[in-house]
Amino acid sequence: MARHPDDDLVPYLRGELSPAERERVARHLEECPDCRQDTELLRDLLGNLAHAIGQPPAVSWARYRAELRDKLDARRQRIGWWRRPMPLALSASLAGVLLLLAVWGGRELSRSGDPIGPDEVVMGQEFGLLQDLRTVERLDLLEDLEVLRNLDGLASEHQG
Amino acid sequence: MEPADEALCERVARRDEAAFDLLVSRYQERAYRLAWSILRNAEDARDVSQEAFIRLHEMAGSFRGRSKFSTWFYRILVNLCLDHKRKHKWWKLWVRDDDDDRAETILDRQPAPVNDPVDKLSRDETLKALGSAVDRLAPRQRAAVLLRVQEDMATYDIARVLKCSEATVRVHLHRALATLKKTVEKR
Ligand SMILES: [Zn+2]
Repeated sequence: MARHPDDDLVPYLRGELSPAERERVARHLEECPDCRQDTELLRDLLGNLAHAIGQPPAVSWARYRAELRDKLDARRQRIGWWRRPMPLALSASLAGVLLLLAVWGGRELSRSGDPIGPDEVVMGQEFGLLQDLRTVERLDLLEDLEVLRNLDGLASEHQG
Repeated sequence: MEPADEALCERVARRDEAAFDLLVSRYQERAYRLAWSILRNAEDARDVSQEAFIRLHEMAGSFRGRSKFSTWFYRILVNLCLDHKRKHKWWKLWVRDDDDDRAETILDRQPAPVNDPVDKLSRDETLKALGSAVDRLAPRQRAAVLLRVQEDMATYDIARVLKCSEATVRVHLHRALATLKKTVEKR
């Protein structure tokens, strides 16, 4: 008998497998009582989990959105303040220094940390990439710089 | 016809505040619920989901339309949640607030109606045990399970949210469900 297709059982139950894979799993299930039993349990489990996880405490969405607006405004003001006293080139070099410190500090602090070079951080303009880096926690100022690029021209024109 | 999420996101990139408000209204509940499911704390879930919207506001221009908007946005949100968990772990050791809102929410959980009271009792207990078992999963496993069960996402989309291969998602899910299965079987 082929190896048990454990990893495929959930995608199988959800109908996500290609026809060939589906056929392979179905054939295995016919021959393998263990996997058949697993499949049944998984079916139950998936059905019960949504109930088991439950619902969060209720929220007033109007208040939630008002808070969000306040936070956005505060963030813009912070950017405005950060931007005014320093030209971009200068703030960029300052950010460079901070980055070196942060990366160095990150290496010191995180034992298991994946080593990352400053280049990767600078290139990691796409958010997901930045998020993966442990040192990003210490890079608030650099993020502001990035935001500042994205928001260029915004500070003067907003808002509704 | 209602504008698509992707079109709204493009408008947010052009600083259309009305489009942003509309996206927030569409996603606020899902974002808050998902954040809460991962973080298990209402205040944190509120903060982190709001932060995700702020990132959306700032970075709408970097949405390239290669994936669905929801996948892109959940990636921001889930990353923030996982980051939050990592950052606050050491602190939790001190204050031991890991029970958070759980006591309240277990009472609030609404299992499907069952008539037999004995069945209902054991089902409630099973659900309760299952809920705490979900809480104990490793963060990425838990995120995979929640995206699957709560957001009804396909393996392919979960892989994009968690930035890993589909095979990895399958392994995450398989391990998580195997753990949860043991919880149920023990009962
Ligand atoms: Zn088998």
